[in-house]
Amino acid sequence: MADMEKLYAQRMKRYVTAMRNEKPDMIPIRPFVAEFTAKYAGYTCQEVTHDFEKAFIAARKCAADFDWDAVVANMVYVWTGLTQAIGLKYYAVPGIDISPDVGFQYLEPPEDRAFMKPDEYDQLIEDPTGFLFNVWLPRVSADVCTGAGSPSLHGLEARAGSPCYGEAKWYRNNLSFLKGGMAMLSYFNSFGRQIELLRKESGTVSAIAGILKAPFDILADKLRGYLGLLTDLFERPNKVLAACEALMPHLTHVALSGADPDKNIPIGFWMHRGCVPFVSMEHFNKLYWPTLKPIIEEIWSHGHQVLFYAEGNWNAHLKAFAELPEKSIVYHIDNADIFEAHKVLGDKFCISGGIPNFLLSFGTPQEVRDYCKKVIDGVAGDGGYIMDAGAIMQNDTKVENIKAMTEFTREYGVY
Amino acid sequence: MDKQKKQKRKPGVCIPWEEKQKELPKISGDKELVRKVWEDIDSLGYVYIWQCLLSF
Repeated sequence: MADMEKLYAQRMKRYVTAMRNEKPDMIPIRPFVAEFTAKYAGYTCQEVTHDFEKAFIAARKCAADFDWDAVVANMVYVWTGLTQAIGLKYYAVPGIDISPDVGFQYLEPPEDRAFMKPDEYDQLIEDPTGFLFNVWLPRVSADVCTGAGSPSLHGLEARAGSPCYGEAKWYRNNLSFLKGGMAMLSYFNSFGRQIELLRKESGTVSAIAGILKAPFDILADKLRGYLGLLTDLFERPNKVLAACEALMPHLTHVALSGADPDKNIPIGFWMHRGCVPFVSMEHFNKLYWPTLKPIIEEIWSHGHQVLFYAEGNWNAHLKAFAELPEKSIVYHIDNADIFEAHKVLGDKFCISGGIPNFLLSFGTPQEVRDYCKKVIDGVAGDGGYIMDAGAIMQNDTKVENIKAMTEFTREYGVY
Repeated sequence: MDKQKKQKRKPGVCIPWEEKQKELPKISGDKELVRKVWEDIDSLGYVYIWQCLLSF
């Protein structure tokens, strides 16, 4: 146990030193392994998605077997047992809607059936929390229903979720809140135990704490849909800006309330479709960035770093990110040119990732080692780099390639 | 963020204590305790809906 505590302390120091853009004893390894953990531990995607205890076991097995400094306590984060209890309609669940061997999927409705209608911006802006309970939830849940006078009906049946006709509907409605609330509490409370077990069993650090999404991405992902939001950018840009501004204090509050009280571990920030070419540079500059940058600055004023998980390629916006206070973020690279990102951001921020997922899935161990060398040589010379793949690793990732990435980094990544 | 319009419900709040207080008889005991417990439990409702939106 004492050895494990010593190992944990070493790893924490290594991880935090790199995240502060300084030089640790060696390059920390922090792979975001999702459904890969199922493959490695002998589970199906259905098992780790629908039974979070199996996901926890799989994450701990990987942490114990590989020499990793930090992992996400459960990167298969969406527990579909919980989403079913609430009745959420926007998931394809492994083993029910899709093959048991495929990771869960998000389903975005067509533009005309978006979860928020184009003329509902004012309702959202005036009272985001009320809008979510009264309008959004009845539409995204198969069980939460709407009664007469409900704001989600708004006089039009077609807008509604499921109307509350009859005892059976009310029964399901009430149970959705009861089961959903208790399941969420049970799930969140289980993370404390999981993080403690990671520490005790393998000396592994929990990689992130808390969640942040950009106001613009929330509008696209869960409210208007990507296509609906694109239409709004041209037809009602002022409403989009006001809605983003209305969401800002809430997203900041949620991020801070889940943050690491010790201020070591960063808040995970999941970046989706706010970059060129999903939107124009003008829309990024006028809408996305002005409603995100103050959130990051506010979080940093409380002493918390934010991990920019830049899914896809956000290199068109590096100069904007460089405006942020030094050390306030850790910048993760997916498909973008990591060397260009390091050139622009490397003086101020730690960089992570950049090892292509296609290489980890379809390449050879030697190709993985060669690529890791290229990245380490290019960006890790002065510290401030964390080894990881570009995107979360699913069950197509080869075990031998993960081993190659890990072993090479341990051999070559010593300062 | 300071420039933003005032919203009906603040972050972390579903039913503000000021609103709930109007429904209650005069509190003879520890009013601060009642307020604190109300706000602590109320914030769980807030966590529920915003985590549904953000995490699930």
